[in-house]
Amino acid sequence: MITPRHTLGTFDEALASLRNNVLMMSSLTERSLDRAITGLFQRDDDMCAIAIADDEEIDQLEKQVDKDGIELLLRFQPVASDLRRVVSAMKLSSNLERMADQGTNIARRARKLNQHPALPETELITPMYTHAMAMFKDAIDAYVREDVQLARAVVPRDQALDEMNAAASRHLIERMAEDPAQLRGYLNLIFVSRCLERVGDHATNLAEDAVYAAAAEDIRHQHFPAAANE
Amino acid sequence: MVSVAEMPEITSQITVNQPEPISKSEIGRGMIEIEHLDFKYGAHQVLHDVNLSIPARAVTAFIGPSGCGKTTLLRCLNRMNDLIDGARITRGSIRIEGIDINTPGVDVVDLRRRVGMVFQKSNPFPKSIYDNVAYGLRIAGITKRTLIDEAVEKSLRSAALWEEVKDRLHVSGYGLSGGQQQRLCIARALAVEPEIVLMDEPCSALDPIATAKVEELIRQLKEQYTMVIVTHNMQQAGRCSDHTAFFYLGRLIEFDGTAKIFSNPAQRQTEEYITGRFG
Repeated sequence: MITPRHTLGTFDEALASLRNNVLMMSSLTERSLDRAITGLFQRDDDMCAIAIADDEEIDQLEKQVDKDGIELLLRFQPVASDLRRVVSAMKLSSNLERMADQGTNIARRARKLNQHPALPETELITPMYTHAMAMFKDAIDAYVREDVQLARAVVPRDQALDEMNAAASRHLIERMAEDPAQLRGYLNLIFVSRCLERVGDHATNLAEDAVYAAAAEDIRHQHFPAAANE
Repeated sequence: MVSVAEMPEITSQITVNQPEPISKSEIGRGMIEIEHLDFKYGAHQVLHDVNLSIPARAVTAFIGPSGCGKTTLLRCLNRMNDLIDGARITRGSIRIEGIDINTPGVDVVDLRRRVGMVFQKSNPFPKSIYDNVAYGLRIAGITKRTLIDEAVEKSLRSAALWEEVKDRLHVSGYGLSGGQQQRLCIARALAVEPEIVLMDEPCSALDPIATAKVEELIRQLKEQYTMVIVTHNMQQAGRCSDHTAFFYLGRLIEFDGTAKIFSNPAQRQTEEYITGRFG
C-alpha cells in the first residue's frame, strides 16, 4: 500500500530515518551472527574478534533509534499507523541489539572452542543456524514489506528451533558423560546452541512486532493449547 | 509473608484487567439519535445522510477538516441553526430521548435549556460573575434568592471555578482570564441543569494550562452530562472523548471508540486525516 505523504514533510523524513537505522541494525546484526558462526566453523579467531567488535556499532545504533524515536513522539505525537511504526521500530531495535549480543556470545564461545581440537558435534549447530537465520530474514522481510501473512508464519517456526536446541543439548550432555575430557568443549557447544535458540526467540519477537506495525494486532503470548499445557 | 507454596493459588486469583478500546458494537443505544440527516445552507448541502447514535453520559468528539459539517451538526442538536436564514434540515431526524426535536410542537427555549452550549470563544455577558451564572435561571423565572445562590455556587463548583472566584462573585466576568471566562461560560450552561452539553472548540483560544483545566472538567462532567465536543485538536479528542466521529465533506466517515479511532481506524480516510496525510 502506498502511504500518502505526511503534511509535515519533516515527519516523513524523521520516520524514514528511524526506519533506515533499524534496517541498518538488522544488516549489521545479520553480518555479526554470520561472522560469529564463520569464526566457529572455520576456527577463525580473527573473524570472532571482528564479530565481537561489531557489537559496539549496533549498541550505538540502538541508542540512536531510541533517541530519534522519543524525539519523534515528542515532536509529532503520531497516532494510528504512524504511532505503531515508531513504537515497533523502537521495539525492533531492542530485539536486534539482543540478537547481536547472541552473536557476540557465540563468537566468544567459538574462540574458546578454537583453542582445542575440532569437535565433530559442531555440525549439530549448522541446521540450527540455518533455521534461526531463515526466521530472522523472514521477520525482517515481513517488517519491511508490511507482510502480515509472512510475519505470522514466522512465529510457529520457533518451536522447531526449540526442539533442535533440546535435542542438541541432550546429545551433548550424553557426549559429556562418554567423553569427560571434552566436557568444556561440549559445554561451549551447548551455549552456542542456546544462543541460536535465543536468536529464534528474538526473530519471533520481530515478527510479532511486524504484525503489530502493519495490522495493529497484538499476537504475542498466543500459545497453542498443547504448548500451554506443557 | 506469602510462602512460595501458596503462590500458585494466589496468582490464579489475580485477574488481569486489559482495558479494551470501546468498539462500535459496545456503544449502546444513544441519547441522541441522528438518522439520515441532510442539511442545507440555501442551495448548498453541507450534511449528507448522517446517521449517528450519541451515547448518554459519555464524551463524543466530532473531528474533521474545516468545512466538513461538524459544527453545523453540533448546532443542529439544539436548533441553533434556526437562527440562520436559509439554513434548514431537508431530510432525516434528530431524536433526543426519543423525541424528534424538529417537530413543530417542540419548545425551542426548553430544548436549549436541556441542551446547553459552550462556544469557541468565551462570551460572558457584561455582567458580574454571579449574574452571568444566574442569567439562565432568571430567564426561566426563578426569582428566589436562596435558590439562585445555591445554583450559582453549585454550577461554579461543577465548572471548577468556585475556589478561584468565590470572593469576587460580584465583579465583572470580563475581569477573569480567558480560561476562567470559558469555565464561567460552562458554569452558565450548567446552571440551568441541562442533560446535554455541546462544546464547539472550547479550548481553541486557551493556553495549555487553561486547556488542561477545561479538559479535566469535561472528563468530570461526563459523569452527569452527555457531552459532545467539536475539536480540531487530535490530542484533545484522544484525551477527552470516549467516542469519536470523523466527518469529511458533510458525511460521517467513521464513528467508533476513541481508542479504536486513534489506534487502528477502519476507514482509510480517517487514518489519513488523523495521521496528517489528508488531501
